[in-house]
Amino acid sequence: MPRDRRNADDFADEIRSHLEMEADELESEGIPRSEAERQAKAAFGSRAAASERFALRHRLLWLDNLRQDVRFGIRMMRRNPAFTVVAVLTLAIGIAASATVFTWINAVLLEPLGGVTAPNRLVTVETVTSNGEWVPNSYPDFIDFRDRLKLFDGIAVTHMAAFSVGKDDHAERVWGELVSGNFFAVLGVKPEAGRLFLPSEYGDTPGAYPVAVISDRYWRSHYAADPAVIGKTMRINQHELTIVGVAAAAFHGSIPVTSFDLWVPYMEQSVLNGVQGWMLRDRHDRNMLGIARLKPGVTEEQARGELKALADRMAVANADVSEGMSATLMPLWKSPHGPQGLLLGPLRILMGVCVLVLFIVCANITNLLLARATVREREFGARIALGAGRARVVRQVMTESLLLTGAGALLGVAATPWLSHALRYLTPPGPTQSLVSTDIRPPHFSVLVFTAGICLVVGLVAGISPALQVRRMETGPRLNDGGRSATAGRKRNRLRSVLVASEVALALVAMVGAGLFARSFQQTLHVDPGFDPNHVLLNQFYLSTNGYSLAQRREFCRRLEERMTSTPGVTDVAYSDGVPLGFEPSWWEELRIEGYAPRPNENMNIFRNVISPGYLPLLHIPMVEGRNFTDQDNENTPAVMIVNQAFVQRFLPGRNPIGVRVHGWGDWFRIVGVAKDSKYHYLGESAPAYFYVPFRQVFREDMNLAFYVRTQGDPDAVLSTLRAQTRAIDPGVTVFDAAPLKEFIGASLYPQKVAASLLTIMGVIALVLAAVGLYSVMAYSVAQRTQEIGVRMALGAQRGQVLWMVIGRGLALTGFGLAAGGALCIAAVKIIAGVSFTNSGMGTHARLLGDGSMDGAVYLIAAGILMVVAMVATYLPARRAAAVEPMQALRTD
Amino acid sequence: MPTHKEENDRIALLQGTLDLLILKTLLFGACHGQGIARSIQRQSEEAFFVDHGSLYLALQRLEEGGLITAKWGVSENNRKARFYTLTARGRSELTAKTDQWSRLTRAMNLILSPSNKEA
Repeated sequence: MPRDRRNADDFADEIRSHLEMEADELESEGIPRSEAERQAKAAFGSRAAASERFALRHRLLWLDNLRQDVRFGIRMMRRNPAFTVVAVLTLAIGIAASATVFTWINAVLLEPLGGVTAPNRLVTVETVTSNGEWVPNSYPDFIDFRDRLKLFDGIAVTHMAAFSVGKDDHAERVWGELVSGNFFAVLGVKPEAGRLFLPSEYGDTPGAYPVAVISDRYWRSHYAADPAVIGKTMRINQHELTIVGVAAAAFHGSIPVTSFDLWVPYMEQSVLNGVQGWMLRDRHDRNMLGIARLKPGVTEEQARGELKALADRMAVANADVSEGMSATLMPLWKSPHGPQGLLLGPLRILMGVCVLVLFIVCANITNLLLARATVREREFGARIALGAGRARVVRQVMTESLLLTGAGALLGVAATPWLSHALRYLTPPGPTQSLVSTDIRPPHFSVLVFTAGICLVVGLVAGISPALQVRRMETGPRLNDGGRSATAGRKRNRLRSVLVASEVALALVAMVGAGLFARSFQQTLHVDPGFDPNHVLLNQFYLSTNGYSLAQRREFCRRLEERMTSTPGVTDVAYSDGVPLGFEPSWWEELRIEGYAPRPNENMNIFRNVISPGYLPLLHIPMVEGRNFTDQDNENTPAVMIVNQAFVQRFLPGRNPIGVRVHGWGDWFRIVGVAKDSKYHYLGESAPAYFYVPFRQVFREDMNLAFYVRTQGDPDAVLSTLRAQTRAIDPGVTVFDAAPLKEFIGASLYPQKVAASLLTIMGVIALVLAAVGLYSVMAYSVAQRTQEIGVRMALGAQRGQVLWMVIGRGLALTGFGLAAGGALCIAAVKIIAGVSFTNSGMGTHARLLGDGSMDGAVYLIAAGILMVVAMVATYLPARRAAAVEPMQALRTD
Repeated sequence: MPTHKEENDRIALLQGTLDLLILKTLLFGACHGQGIARSIQRQSEEAFFVDHGSLYLALQRLEEGGLITAKWGVSENNRKARFYTLTARGRSELTAKTDQWSRLTRAMNLILSPSNKEA
């Protein structure tokens, strides 16, 4: 319609013209001009009021209507409590689930770090290997970056570490970060008490900065938030460090989803862990995660360009260790390190499932509203006949739909913080459990915005078809007859049938998804890891935190092995650096293999473990060729190495591996044996090349110590012996978290576990919602047919026939839904099967979905369950309908 | 239904009817607001008093609804005046509304008239 915006002046002109004409007319009736003008004005009333109403005509009417609609909507909700409760609960479940998942995504992806200033200008700095993989940085590289980059407001590095805090015999393990001195300055963290590191502590002198910053959480739990603790000393790894301050409460460290409690300058490594000075200067020692702050106005592109140019120059200057290396930067959430890398894939899929559940919710609400729109047809008809605009009635329907979703959203948001907390229960067991942020943050602003958005979308989607129904309604027949016009009814029935069928389809997709994940999780549980984790007790020692030198550590291992071996019930004892299928990243070494010419840019960083001779036999990993390490492979004999089958296949195909020389750690090793492939990082992985070197030949200060004890019976039974023997060797060494290996390796199943359990929950929610929807719609459509059923029975139809007629229709609809859902599933599974997740910067890929993606049983079971639900949902109302006395049914209208 | 209250009671009465009356008046040709007001008053034998402020707002509403169009012109007394004309849509709306109105009044009559024979 042509709607020229008419301005207020034009309207005022018209009023003036009116007054003149009115005065003219009065004058012509014989009234003097001045009196005529006065009367004209009086008759008109307040011109100002009219102008005002003109100016506000849209807004006032709109507001007024809205107020009416809302009031009326609330009255309708109160009049149908059952309807309202079902609708609001359905919505609350759907909205709470999506808001929770969004909260997690927000925490992991959108606001990874709390308590930092302007996080949008923070980036993570990654060294890039010659074949394009991301790895952490070395400290010397950091110094170059720090001193030469111009487009950054600082770059900091950090290294996650376990500290042993307290006096010898009751030491406690505390997780923290060894950081460059400028760490807090770069991140923009404020102190809660005391101070953070000063510029005078930013230097690179080993052992010169005996200071520490603690977390607010630790300050409260260990010092009752006493400000007097600032300036006191704290015994960390048997060395006294001065607590200089407490970090802001919102700050949990630089790795998303984890909470650290202690920050110590990296240069204290040499004192705390006995790391020698040369290792701090070793460009090979790439174990620092880099975080940089872009200068204001500098784009990511510009900064990346500068960083890359510098790193490329450095690679040339340090060609011996860094040839072909480069560096890049990326948003924090893309960082491949830390748990968020593991959570990314599952969270994305989870979001998809949430959308699915929301669709089901929409379908339910639409159904309910449609059913009610039919009941209220006469009311709507009357309103339209009495002059209410059709648009006005449509708006009324939309308002009611939005009111419902609003109420649901409120309830949902109230439940969200409680649900978000559940992420904690899904974190892997083992050392990192205590790391995951446990504070329940109140719903974030962005979460609230997201929920409001969802609520709006659901309200509109659910309200649109009932509203359209009203729009299409003809006014005439509505007032005159009972309100059940045959043609409109059929159209509406078709719409409702489509809704029921689509609801079944969506529920099937959600359930099959959940089923497939649960299945593939189960399958991976049964995958042979290639070693035998049963009856093995594992304990990780952090001897460097006890101030042990290398020689002392070796001696400790030797003596503990000796003592444990003589314990009754113990069959094997071994130790190593890395734990297979552990949560912590595996380490690698850059190798040169005699007789193998690497392709240009081939990544020659190969995963490795440093083991004692007992390791392979203890884990029942068989040798396929050559020999195992022995006690004779020590500091004084030639360096030896054992490789796995995949190593041989990749580097030595068709060659006899035994005797081949391999270069690493600045030394030549001779391959003496080939071990069978096993799983190293993920049960789902396909065997990567891997090698072992003996503990006594390679063990360095920065390595860990995992101690294994194989027992005849329950491994927990030897725990007390292990504690006692450890204490007997050195009362200062504490057994912190010994656990059966079987439990420990559960961490490697973390992503699948999260995906499987969350999806199972979502699957159940989807099923319940679909069942409620199915039931309400079936019950309603049967109730609508009560009269018809009465007629049929009056004409002699049997109860059974009537029952069958009603149920048959329901099952037909369900069948359609199942067919459509099945097709959808197959398409969706194809997409999801392509999603993989990454373990470490070295890019070990594992699939989320196992081979079972075409698993027929899951489809059949899901379809079967839905069929049963549909049966019940139709049977109950059908029975009620068939039980009605024909005469009574005929009378009802 | 749009139940207006208190001081708006009169408007409530008019909302359905004033529009109808305006459309009906314009059926006989283009007219300005003042003329429409006079015409309605006269035709209803002065039973309706048309609130002028409301009239102009109603005209505005109808114009925005595309039922009438308006153009500035010159009145019989050589005054500048805004003339309203019925559109095709306005014409059909008038027919529909008139029809509805007669049904409504008939129904009301059936119920309200003391000799209710059809019960």
